Amino acid sequence: MARDIVVLVEHAEGKVDSVTLQLLTAGRALATAFKTQLIALAVGHRLESVSAAIQGHGMDRIVIVDHPSLALAAGEVQAQAIAQAARRIDPRFLLIGYSLIGMELTPAVATLLGINALTNCVNLEIRDGAVTVTRPVFDSTQHAHVALDENERAVIALQKGSFAPIESSSTQAVVESVAIDIANIPARSKVLAIIEAPSGGVDITKAEIVVSVGRGIGTAEKIPLIAELAEALGGVLACSRPVVDVGWLPRERQVGASGRTVTPKIYIACGISGAIQHLIGMREAHRIIAINKDADAPIFGVAHLGVVGDLFEIVPALTKAAKEAKAG
Amino acid sequence: MNIVVCCKSVPGLVTNLDVSTDGKSLQYQGQLLAINECDEYALEEALVLKKAHGGQITALSMGGIKSQDVLYYALAKGADKAVRVDCESQDPQVASKVLAATLTQLEFDLVLTGTQARDTLGGQVGIGAASRLGLPFAYAVVAVDVQDGKTITVRKELGGGRHADVELSLPALLCIQTGIQPLTFVPPARRIRARQQPVRSYSLADLGVPDDDLVPQGYRIVAVKPPERAHQVELLQGNAQDIAAALLTRIQESL
Repeated sequence: MARDIVVLVEHAEGKVDSVTLQLLTAGRALATAFKTQLIALAVGHRLESVSAAIQGHGMDRIVIVDHPSLALAAGEVQAQAIAQAARRIDPRFLLIGYSLIGMELTPAVATLLGINALTNCVNLEIRDGAVTVTRPVFDSTQHAHVALDENERAVIALQKGSFAPIESSSTQAVVESVAIDIANIPARSKVLAIIEAPSGGVDITKAEIVVSVGRGIGTAEKIPLIAELAEALGGVLACSRPVVDVGWLPRERQVGASGRTVTPKIYIACGISGAIQHLIGMREAHRIIAINKDADAPIFGVAHLGVVGDLFEIVPALTKAAKEAKAG
Repeated sequence: MNIVVCCKSVPGLVTNLDVSTDGKSLQYQGQLLAINECDEYALEEALVLKKAHGGQITALSMGGIKSQDVLYYALAKGADKAVRVDCESQDPQVASKVLAATLTQLEFDLVLTGTQARDTLGGQVGIGAASRLGLPFAYAVVAVDVQDGKTITVRKELGGGRHADVELSLPALLCIQTGIQPLTFVPPARRIRARQQPVRSYSLADLGVPDDDLVPQGYRIVAVKPPERAHQVELLQGNAQDIAAALLTRIQESL
């Protein structure tokens, strides 16, 4: 009997993260190709709403691991619980979302199971029965294509947006509970509190035009150049992570996996190379304009309109044109 | 508090990139070797913790002799000791096994490293080693608060601006996010002086890692190439004024 495919359900406060329905698309393709079952695995506490939200989304079974101590468990405890459940199911592939939560869990679960983990994957294909994943390397400027050996088991962590969400159907999956031995999981770490994203201040997610600045700006003194363009276009100023890390702009302006996800009508990326963590936060924008001096920068892979050139020439010219248009 | 900081030497420029004949690794000529960015932030955090709580910092790097430069850099920044493990594996399982074996040779309360290396972008080795050693861990840490000699509290990212505060008993391993502390500048004279300091090096035989553990298993890299683009980007050309005018028209059309 072929081993099953398991998708780990990512959820918080009873809500299922959108990456889960994307993982189920990939999982369904694997289960169909290998003529095996697709199982959604949810680990936590009070999972009724989580189970209901995923029900009917392509899986054959929903496996629930519910325990009060998993309500707010640290990574180590979650990984142990997932590994225990996975040992019972003994799947061929365990698919996890490469979110900040998945980044912590994936290597731990794979190590506990004694199998490989392929992380940061942006695609998964089945060719002649072989599973191949695509993962960025070297600052996302290159993609490595990695083929798993026949019958090889693995944890595969997929980036958000790698697959479209799965359609729901009327087919209902069997829901079953699996008890795990929680008492023997070492609890040397515990979550004390969850801190929600601060509200108030600038909300970059509401703007129709987002003008975003990256490391290519070079110095803090040049930031006003981009701010001025944002103002002239009636948009908001945002940035990529490195700009926040060096303290040139506050955290609330950060676009990307650890910052905010924006879907404006227009996103202008100035001096942003386009690491995958940034792309996750902006690639759903309706029109993406990239200005970068490096023609090979990954940002041009998602941009609709691009300028390979010096942002210190292009941006002031665009600001001037926008101001003149407004005045005129 | 004794801290081990794992720092990787990564290339700033890569040429002649190809898959090795056995399909287990990527071959390339790497230039502009430097400390991996988030590992440097891990080192900065270690320096801040040392200043507040005392103890020693050991900088640890896995790699060939060329990677020794990042250790001298760490020493110049204020690390007390440097250790290099002669292992150039790009495989995360192999690397985490070797790192775990190395850590058992060192005395520490805390292991700090970055979230991912800019070359392999795997983000596995730190937590993989912690899991092998049975250490508690936290990933994407943006603040560290030492409670007493036995526990620490950290704040870590959950994504989308959310965070969690986690208490961990020591010893523990933390993967540090970029931006946790401001990066400090090292005067060139200090960097030159640091090169006089000894670097302890371990071979894989010293660590007792069996040869079988050093062979990546279960996969083959079939190709490495620039990403396929989702769609063809339309590139605007001309002088800055022409480009600006064209951009403005397209922006107005899109609203």
